[in-house]
This record gives sequence, C-alpha cells and structure tokens, in this order.
Amino acid sequence: MKQNCSIIYRLWPCLVLFPLLWCCQPKDDRLTIGVSFETLQTEYWVTSINAIEAACEKHNIRFLSAVSNGDANRQFEQVNNFISRGVDGIIIAPKDGNTVIPVIKAANRANIPIVLYNRSPAKDIGQYVTVAANNYDIAFHTTKYLCELARQSGRQWKALELIGNLGDINAVERSKGFNAAIAQYPNDVEVVAAVPTEWNQEKALAGTTNALQAHPDIDFIFSASDFLIPPIVSALKNADKYHPIGHEKHVLFGAFDGDATAYQLLKEGYLDADGVQDVFFECEASVQAVVDILKGNPPEKVLVDPGFVIHTKNLEAMAPKMWGAAADHK
Amino acid sequence: MQTSFLQGLGKMLLDRSIIVLFVIVFLVFGLLSPQFLTLQNLLNILVQSATLIILASGMTFVIITAGIDLSVGSIMLVVAVISGKAVLDYDLPLLVVIPLGMVLGLCFGYLNALSIHRLKIIPFIATLGMYYVARGLGLLISETRALNLPESYTWLGNTPILGIPLPVWIMAVVVFAGHIILSHTTYGRQLYAVGEDAVRARKAGVKVDRIIIGSYVLCGLCAAIASLVATAQLGAVSPTFGDQREFTAIAAVVLGGTSLFGGTGKIFPGTLIGAILIQSIESGLVMVSLDPYLYAVITAGILFFVVLIDSIKHQRQNRKSAKPLLKSSS
Repeated sequence: MKQNCSIIYRLWPCLVLFPLLWCCQPKDDRLTIGVSFETLQTEYWVTSINAIEAACEKHNIRFLSAVSNGDANRQFEQVNNFISRGVDGIIIAPKDGNTVIPVIKAANRANIPIVLYNRSPAKDIGQYVTVAANNYDIAFHTTKYLCELARQSGRQWKALELIGNLGDINAVERSKGFNAAIAQYPNDVEVVAAVPTEWNQEKALAGTTNALQAHPDIDFIFSASDFLIPPIVSALKNADKYHPIGHEKHVLFGAFDGDATAYQLLKEGYLDADGVQDVFFECEASVQAVVDILKGNPPEKVLVDPGFVIHTKNLEAMAPKMWGAAADHK
Repeated sequence: MQTSFLQGLGKMLLDRSIIVLFVIVFLVFGLLSPQFLTLQNLLNILVQSATLIILASGMTFVIITAGIDLSVGSIMLVVAVISGKAVLDYDLPLLVVIPLGMVLGLCFGYLNALSIHRLKIIPFIATLGMYYVARGLGLLISETRALNLPESYTWLGNTPILGIPLPVWIMAVVVFAGHIILSHTTYGRQLYAVGEDAVRARKAGVKVDRIIIGSYVLCGLCAAIASLVATAQLGAVSPTFGDQREFTAIAAVVLGGTSLFGGTGKIFPGTLIGAILIQSIESGLVMVSLDPYLYAVITAGILFFVVLIDSIKHQRQNRKSAKPLLKSSS
C-alpha cells in the first residue's frame, strides 16, 4: 500500500500533465477515416493504401490505418477500435467476403459509413458501399485478346490457367472470366491444366513446372495475378519456353493486376496482355464515397472499376493509367 | 497358420505404412498419368522437394528433442529479403551473400534457443514470438514489396551438375550431414536421449541445454539454406515467401515417422520420404488434371490417412509395452 502511494507520489506530475496536454491539443476539425487492410503483402495493396492516403490528403481528411496481416478477428478488433475512436468513416479491404459481415454490422450500429475496398461481402446485409474491380470482365477481355491472337495463328493452342486462392471471390471471378472467354474459342484454345496457387509463388512454380512436364505442348498461360509472374518465368526458362513475342517458341502469356513486373515484361515483349485494375480510380472512389455518404448523398451500393486490358499494341497510350507504370509516368 | 500369416502381413504393412503409401501414391499417379513416372518428372519432384526436405531436416532435430520451431518460414523470409537486398542494392557477390544468409539463419536459431533455454519460455511460444519478429523484420526491410532477383542469383536454382540440378545436390548434402549427425555422433545419441527423457539424460551427464541449443541453431541454419535455394529457384522474393512453410515442414517430419513427443525419428529415410510424398501428391494432382477444388481435399485425406495409421501403430506399441508391466504387477 505504502509502495503504491510512493509510485503515485512520484508520478503525480505525469498524472497532471497528460490530461492537461491532451486538453490543450489544437482541435482538429477535419474528418477522420479509419482504413483497415487485411494485408500489405503485395505491391497492389501497398499502392492501394498509399493511394487512399493521398486521396484523404486531397480531401483534407485525417487518415488512420491498421493492417491485420491476414487475421480476420484482428481486423474486426481494429475496426472496433476505429469506432471507439469516433472516426467519421471506415474503408476496409476485408480478408474475405464472409468475415466482413460482422464488421459491416458493427459500423452500421455505430452509424459510421463503411466502404469495402476490392472485395464484396458474401451476403448483401446492412448499409455499405463496395468499390471493386470487375474481375470477371477484366479477366474475360484479357483472355479474349489472347484468344484472338491464338485464332490468328490458325492452329490450336494448349492453355494453362494459374488460379489464385479458391476461397477468394476475386480469384474465382477471374477464373470464371478466363473460362468464359476460352469457351468462345473451342477450336483455337484448349485448357489442359489448371493450377490452384493459393496466391503462393512456390506453389505457382511447382504447379507450372508440373503442368509443363505433363503437357509439354502448353503454349498459352494465364495467371490470376501479376504477383505470380516471376515463378512462371522461372518455370518457362527451365523448360526453354521463355521467348519474346515473334519467336517461334513464344508462349502466349497473360496476367492480371497491372503491377511493375507486368509493365516491364510488356515493354520487353514477353507478356502479351495484362488486365489492369485502376487502383487510383478505386481509391479515389472509396474516399469520395465516404465523403458523399457524410454529406447525405450516398452513392450506388457497388462502384465498379471497369479496368482495362493493356497489351503491346496499346501500351504507350494506356501505360499512364497503369499503376505499375507510375514510376515511368510521373 | 493363415491367421498368423495375415497378422504378420498386417503388422509388416503397418510398420512400413509410409513406404507402402509412398508406393501406392506413385503407382496410382503413374497409372493415371504416364508422364508422372518419367525420369524427368521424378527429377522435377526431387528439385521441387529440395527446399522442403532441407527445411524439414532442420525441423527433425528440434522435434526429436520434443520441441517445435514455428519460426522457420519467417526466418526464410528475413534471410531471403536481406540476401536479395544485398544483391540488388549493394551488388554483393553470391560468395558473400550465401554465407551471410547462413549466418543470419544461425543467429535466428540461436535467439530461439536462448529464449527457450535462458528465459525458460516453452518452444511453442518462443518460436511463435520469433515467427512474428522475423516476418515483421522481413516485411519492414522489404517495405512489403516483391524483389525480383537478377540472373546472377538464380543460377543457384537451375545449374545442373552431372545432369542433376544444384538444389538436389544441396539437399543431398544436408540430408547426408543430418543423417550422419543423428546416427553416428555423440551429439545425435544425446539428442535422442534428451527427447526421450530430458531429466534422465541430465542425470546421466548429458548437457541437455547445449543439445537443445544445438538443435535450434541447426534448424535455423537449415531454414536459411532452404531460403537461399527457394529464392534462387523462384527468381523473386515476395512478402508471402515462406508463409506457412513451418506447417508443411512439420507435416513432412511427422509423416516420416518422427514422434512429436520426441525421442524417435530419422532424417534418412523418414523425413526425406515424408517431404517427397507431400510434393509427389501436389505434382500428381496437377499431372492428372484434377478439378482444383479437390486438391486440398485429396491432399488432406492422404495426410490424415498416414497420421491415422501412425496413430494405430503407436497405440498397438503402447498396448504391447503395457502388457508386460501389467503381468509383472499382477
């Protein structure tokens, strides 16, 4: 007891000073947005969170961020912390469509606008706005472009599809888009292998190597993410199939995202086409959605980023819109 | 007569369950896909297993002491990131980068050992802590951006010696060294003694602490070697690199017959076969072009089957060893 009193006696200046300093802080009248990302583990997510921060700055909004490193429970706690801190709006890049549902409910109970970045909820419950790329369409058009190239050659091509994580709605939509496009070219392209990579580069390397072993005639590859390009390139090199466009052994190669690696390979002529998510549009739309809801003008429930396909023929024109090419087009 | 023959056959199959399953998996995939049993594919499986075998070899040392190391995947990431940065940003030659990576692995292993030995933290918690520290460091240093490695780095993953790729040679050296240490050295014998009963081993004069420290240091070293081999094969380091590799390594060790309770187990042939089995299943599933949604179900089913057989075997052994005790007590 005596010891406790002694500690309080020693710390009394702090006990007085902290509340005093807290009260004397200049009042920040700006809006505050809490941004929770499930991961920052690829270039796409890093660019996204930076773009959201830039959009907040542009709107003179205070930006708070949290990353849950793939843990849905932690993400829920982080959003609850935002709510306790009295943020004006929440932008969340959820772990998946199911675990975000209680997050939406919590934000709705606190009457705080919530915007889902990049992933839709599994069920349409409560009030929220989703800003997401049209994964199906972008994958469809990217594949269609590759199929057109295949058709022009006048022979049948054997395709390998590298799927992302089958529990991720974005990966599933990309796969559906790919297969829908392929279905329109039954005489030109045949899918001989599909490898689930779980967004893991090592699995992508092993899967591509195995597929090339089982089907040495594979000459058409579609990857659900640019993030998987390096291991695919490694496997192609080992199989002596990594050659630029125009070479007789060139493998038709398409991917999805729009990162710097894809941009580099497009420039070098190894990648034929890339489906690009318009990160800058998505981030600006997310922040704008929060602002609009707070002003009483809620936007549509789903704001779709139509994305675009970039290929060797439109590279110069479209590169300034590709987030992976930002360093070259500042 | 017939009953005893069947009993004997059953016992023999049970005792060699992992080898029996290994043969079954190869036969089934071989029948379903003729390419699976080709020499080139078998070599591919070995190349793809190399990282896992090296990682699991280190893990075997730790598990024999009845410990566990959950940090190996994260150690892989931090070693890969620092080695990658050393090559990309400082242009260091591989002759410097490889020892640097190995020393880093040793240091992380030693830190694990210190927190277990000095701070008396149980291995699960100590290595779980290191899991977060090392992964966090890796992400911090890489700024969560992927590193694309130059050709000068990737030759390590592709160069053949006598027609066999270098990763297989490195794996063979690690397995051979591990086997020699476990089977033909005093350290190896003491390792089993510590895993069997640490108190008795201490009474017998074994320096238990040193043995345990040694096992974690070796595990860290193996994680570093696995990291260098894997990055050289991939040609890139992503922020998800090494994620959940600890679980695959533990699965390979347990499949290879090493008990999680310590005191038993071998790198050769046990862990080696366990790791190759896991990789063969993954390879075989791609080869037979199975529906990607079934991959996880089949892989988990086979692993569950092996562990179930192992459990039945251990129950039988326990019953046998309990019988004489019961007799003597009556």
